[in-house]
Amino acid sequence: MSEILTKAPQGHIEVRNFSLSYDSIEGPVQAVTDTQIHVKPGEFVSIVGPSGCGKSTLLNAVAGFLKPTTGIVTVDGERVNGPSAERGMVFQQYSLFPWKTVRENVEFGLKMRGMPRSQRERAARTLLGLAGLEAFEKHYPEKLSGGMKQRVGIVRALATGPKVLLLDEPFGALDAQTRVIMQQILTNMWQRLKISVLFVTHDIDEAIFLSDRVYCMTARPGSIKAEIPIPLERPRQQSMMMSSEFLALRRGLMSLIREESIKAMGGEISDMGMQGLNIELHGHSLADVI
Amino acid sequence: MPAIAEAGPVPAITPPATPPSFGTLALRWYRLNRGGLRAIAIGVISLLAFLLVWHLLTTYRVVFFVRFTNVPSPLAVYASFTKAIHDPKFLMHILLSCRRILVGFSLAAIVGVPLGLIMGRFKLVHEIIFPVAEVLRPIPAIAWVPMAIMLWPTNEQSIVFITFLGSFFPILVNTLHGMTMVDPVLVRAAQCLGARERAIFREVYFPASLPHIFTGLTVGMGVAWVSLIAAEMISGQYGIGYFTWEAYSLVQYADIALGMIAIGVLGLGSSLLIRGAGQLVMPWRLK
Repeated sequence: MSEILTKAPQGHIEVRNFSLSYDSIEGPVQAVTDTQIHVKPGEFVSIVGPSGCGKSTLLNAVAGFLKPTTGIVTVDGERVNGPSAERGMVFQQYSLFPWKTVRENVEFGLKMRGMPRSQRERAARTLLGLAGLEAFEKHYPEKLSGGMKQRVGIVRALATGPKVLLLDEPFGALDAQTRVIMQQILTNMWQRLKISVLFVTHDIDEAIFLSDRVYCMTARPGSIKAEIPIPLERPRQQSMMMSSEFLALRRGLMSLIREESIKAMGGEISDMGMQGLNIELHGHSLADVI
Repeated sequence: MPAIAEAGPVPAITPPATPPSFGTLALRWYRLNRGGLRAIAIGVISLLAFLLVWHLLTTYRVVFFVRFTNVPSPLAVYASFTKAIHDPKFLMHILLSCRRILVGFSLAAIVGVPLGLIMGRFKLVHEIIFPVAEVLRPIPAIAWVPMAIMLWPTNEQSIVFITFLGSFFPILVNTLHGMTMVDPVLVRAAQCLGARERAIFREVYFPASLPHIFTGLTVGMGVAWVSLIAAEMISGQYGIGYFTWEAYSLVQYADIALGMIAIGVLGLGSSLLIRGAGQLVMPWRLK
């Protein structure tokens, strides 16, 4: 840990008095309100919350795609005014350029920076090697599996050496097994690069397993409901997910989110309605029975 | 087949390392391409059947609502074809039509694609040009013939203009459509990799629109031929459309069919050229 401090680490994200609303025909709609979060240099922080709570909105504001209505977003004291290569981003839909090969995708950020071709080719090959993708450098993304695509997505975002890495439900579209492997890969890369990470997910296990700290958001309009430190030791193993410590954290977060999810859905499901659905299907479809 | 299979010497010391014999390869190739081969075989049979029906209808001069009395037989058309390919005048008709297509279509692509890209990127340009384009677009290129003759000093220019108009709108509209279909997430991905406006245009918007641009070029090429032939029939002195119309006036019935077939072959050839160009430019779309 002391090693990180001697390196004068960068990537301190600070979001203060943040709110974001947009106009609609019924007047302004609050998406996020009165929010403060921060990510210390080299820290791994997740944001969880019910769907539609504005966690992606918050992440997009840190990336610079959205302007806060009030408040301020800074990275290392500098105000965020728009997207920049200093803040790498990984998207749920992979968002690789289909017309570029795997290597060209990874090279893109370096090309934008004006790095000469031979140099950036070498850099991209090295990075792809780290992600175990060197054999696929000439493939087009369409030919890759979801897990491979997202590995390319992460490598591409890291290629320019950003101060922070922002991930918007990056493993949401992957199957459970691939997801676990991807979490391991991401953890490894994060530990090697000592980069700050802000990670948005709706998967509680994923958030606990990966993070140093987890922010839990309220239902729309989103704000921070709770901040939960994750004291699990590192390196973390898959087996830890069965430990009583992990399960206790999980229970805590689960009940926080449940409250908010119920609010987000517009209240408790009525018992009356549930009684009406007390039908024995015996292999028939619900539509048939009703 | 078995004869070929036995032809190669087989050093059977380490069986797994033995390369598969020619016969095995041929068999595998056949299995993999069975569907394609079947399509080709059926295609050939169907074309031959078409020729046979045509031959029978014309030799027996069938009259059944439709009158085949004066329709030339395939053999007559073939005879006039063998004569025509040695006739410099026929070749000149074809060359002139091709040149008109080349000039008219190229101009349409050179103007239509960049205009579509710019309209897709800059709202103001779109708002200014789109209404005019929408008003002019439904007018068939043929309806422009009298106007074109008034506008342009020579007949040649007005025909090229008609061809241009025919292909211009499909190219413009499809390019514009391609621009509106660009995935905004890809734009954002480029932005947070440090891409600025010009780089985003060059590296994201343009390649993302290419499939639609090529759809526009393919459609535009088809309409270019339609417009060209119509213009040549009405106001031309040369060209394959004029040749076909002239054959009718001169009661050269076999030449009518020859002209039609030539137009079909040229249209097919030019759309194949565009498809080939598309595959060259968009290697990521190859299966």
